[in-house]
Amino acid sequence: MVHLPSRPVMPNSWIARHIGMRAVRSIYIVLLKAKINMLLPFGPLAILLHYVTGKHGWVFFFSLLGIIPLAERLGYATEQLAFYTGPTVGGLLNATFGNATEMIISIYALKNGMIRVVQQSLLGSILSNMLLVLGCAFFSGGIVHYNKVQVFNKSAAVVNSGLLLMAVMGIMFPAVLHFTRTEVHFGKSELALSRFSSCIMLVAYASYLFFQLRSHRSLYNPINEEGDNDQDCDEDEIPEITHWEAIGWLSVLTVWVSILSGYLVDAIQGASDSFNIPVAFISVILLPIVGNAAEHASAIMFAMKDKLDITLGVAIGSSTQISMFVIPFCVVVGWIMGEPMDLNFQLFETATLFITVLVVAFMLQEGTSNYFKGLMLILCYLIVAASFFVHVDPSNDAN
Amino acid sequence: MSYMLPVEMESIDNESIHEFKDEILSIPEMKAQKSQPIQELGEGSFSGGLQAKGDDKMWRNVVCRSIKTVVLSNKLNMLMPFGPLAIFVHIFTGHNGWVFFLTLLGITPLAERLGYATEQLAFYTGPTVGGLLNATFGNATELIISIYALKHGMLRVVQQSLLGSILSNMLLVLGCAFFCGGLVFQDKEQVFNKATAVVNSGLLLMAVMGLLFPAVLHYTHTEVHFGKSELALSRFSSCIMLLAYAIYLFFQLKSQKNLYVPLNEEGSQNEENSDDDDETPEISKWESIIWLIIMTSWISFLSEYLVNAIKGASVAWKIPISFISVILLPIVGNAAEHASAIMFAMKDKLDISLGVAIGSSTQISMFGIPFCVVIGWIMGRPMDLNFQLFETATLFITVLVVAFLLQDGTSNYFKGLMLILCYLIVAASFFVHVDPSAADEAGT
Repeated sequence: MVHLPSRPVMPNSWIARHIGMRAVRSIYIVLLKAKINMLLPFGPLAILLHYVTGKHGWVFFFSLLGIIPLAERLGYATEQLAFYTGPTVGGLLNATFGNATEMIISIYALKNGMIRVVQQSLLGSILSNMLLVLGCAFFSGGIVHYNKVQVFNKSAAVVNSGLLLMAVMGIMFPAVLHFTRTEVHFGKSELALSRFSSCIMLVAYASYLFFQLRSHRSLYNPINEEGDNDQDCDEDEIPEITHWEAIGWLSVLTVWVSILSGYLVDAIQGASDSFNIPVAFISVILLPIVGNAAEHASAIMFAMKDKLDITLGVAIGSSTQISMFVIPFCVVVGWIMGEPMDLNFQLFETATLFITVLVVAFMLQEGTSNYFKGLMLILCYLIVAASFFVHVDPSNDAN
Repeated sequence: MSYMLPVEMESIDNESIHEFKDEILSIPEMKAQKSQPIQELGEGSFSGGLQAKGDDKMWRNVVCRSIKTVVLSNKLNMLMPFGPLAIFVHIFTGHNGWVFFLTLLGITPLAERLGYATEQLAFYTGPTVGGLLNATFGNATELIISIYALKHGMLRVVQQSLLGSILSNMLLVLGCAFFCGGLVFQDKEQVFNKATAVVNSGLLLMAVMGLLFPAVLHYTHTEVHFGKSELALSRFSSCIMLLAYAIYLFFQLKSQKNLYVPLNEEGSQNEENSDDDDETPEISKWESIIWLIIMTSWISFLSEYLVNAIKGASVAWKIPISFISVILLPIVGNAAEHASAIMFAMKDKLDISLGVAIGSSTQISMFGIPFCVVIGWIMGRPMDLNFQLFETATLFITVLVVAFLLQDGTSNYFKGLMLILCYLIVAASFFVHVDPSAADEAGT
């Protein structure tokens, strides 16, 4: 029900009641229909805990749980809005708001000067998208369709891999420069280089969007799209809420996510102490799993419906977006805020990113998928997670 | 000019003189003003030009025409006066910054003409020797500059300028070519022969391996004789890389000629007549050789001043030497290849562009660098393959990115833009990069 029936002039009370009904209906559709929203109460509970007990471990845990449904609903609202704005702006919306949760959490951490948390959480988001989400999707899809090999569009995967490699290049140079102690002004050169590289990466991302949305749309047609007309698929879903409702919910959810992120970021250090886990592990593994929970679920669902192109778009597209847009964006925001956020992710993290991008790029290049590839990716993620479980940040030593 | 055109060269080689004359007459208008002197020259040189030897006036005409064809016909040669000007500035003012800049400008046209003379000579020598000529003289400018720097003991400049030449060929030249070609042919995807690209990528990776081991060995301080082991390892690896390059040439020229036929060649040869590949030689064989020798000596002469002025220019302009060696020197040395790669990409002949760009990179990494190590060995200079960690890492990631982008055999303007942006990141990194080797040498 998208369009309201034309109504004759009505008294104000009727209009007020009608708007009230619509608001209630809207709340029902957005907040109460999805099962994931059972986690919604954890948000206010976390805030309560923060003020009443100050026990950072629990505050952190509950904020995590509280953010998950909000992130998912944010994605839903963006999707709904995309129905009204057409493919171009819709794609742009997805490209910008797709990782809104990570961006909001990062900007809060930046404001608190927790630069390493920002770097590590963004890195972890890339790793989790490339390995965990993609791996689970390939694995589930492979098991459901085990009698055939699933295919996806190679050229999109190759372009994304190329972009990821370019991002790795942008991240590697400041790190290697710093590590080999060969910069002109120690400490200041990588910052200047990072800011310059970030601008270049943003330009590259903008041209990528332009390229993807305008010029070469034919390159990105899914391989098995012709068969979609028979199936009852999600893409032919009609929008469930109206244009303005979508925008309204987008703003409401963004505000809600920001509030919770504030508490989340404040509780990280305390949680690390009380749970006895390194901050690196929390930032790289725990935070992104939560931030990506919704994408995770949708990627697996699409893979099981044999729509691997959408899965790849979700997983690898999200990685590309974070590496080529969010990370440089955070550097620029840090520049504006006056925080020394740079692209020097320290050698261990950079090496991890490098080898992961290589492994994934290599596995994607032939355009097929099966459950074994998925399992390999998941196991790689377990190795990465274990490495970060025993990893302490050296940055205190360097300063 | 290091690209291989075995098939085109064969077709020229097999033509008889009469077909040659017919082809001259069918060259379109843009070559028309050259066709007159060519026809006369052709008749003079091909039907036993030795009979012109006795006549003084004929000699002078030949020389004038030769000078006109080689020196005056190309617009790039407007930069030629900068060469002697640089020498003047050096002698009179000693302002190193300007000497460096003017020498750079002066070498650019000479490098281009050297490539032109090599091409012309290749018409006469047949595909095999022609390919060998291209392979050796293709990067003659870089080699000459490197040998001069070696003589002066500026080993880091040699390493960095060769590295920069590889990076500039792989990223800047290729990126510009893909970008321009993609813009011109927006409605279709340009394709190129995957096999060549893959073989070249493999060779580049092998070169990276050869460079990586001495650097990592040195960096982890795990060599048997500190300082001496990497030198011995480098010299051994260089001999192996030269051997690999020789076998690659043999492979390319003799055994697998059919593997390298460009994808859209069958249509292009019959339809297009404004085809640069079917160009007939414009100067005679002996003229080519003489011009080759003249250009080489001129370039050597200017390189001397160039190399001497590097340090002074770095101080005068407040730019790190690594930036000058890695970014500025190669941009100049490759200017001519750059222009020709872009031109071929815009004519939808991506295979030739790739041959120019990636072939040049392969040639420097598998021939130029090991050759300099061997020359250093002969000269008694400790030139090794330890390019220091930062440069080696840069080369490694660049080769990976390019190999990845090339492997599916297609090109579009976005890929070109990505390569160019990567080059900007690399250039920015070298702008803030100081060499640790000075500190290292002081320490050891």
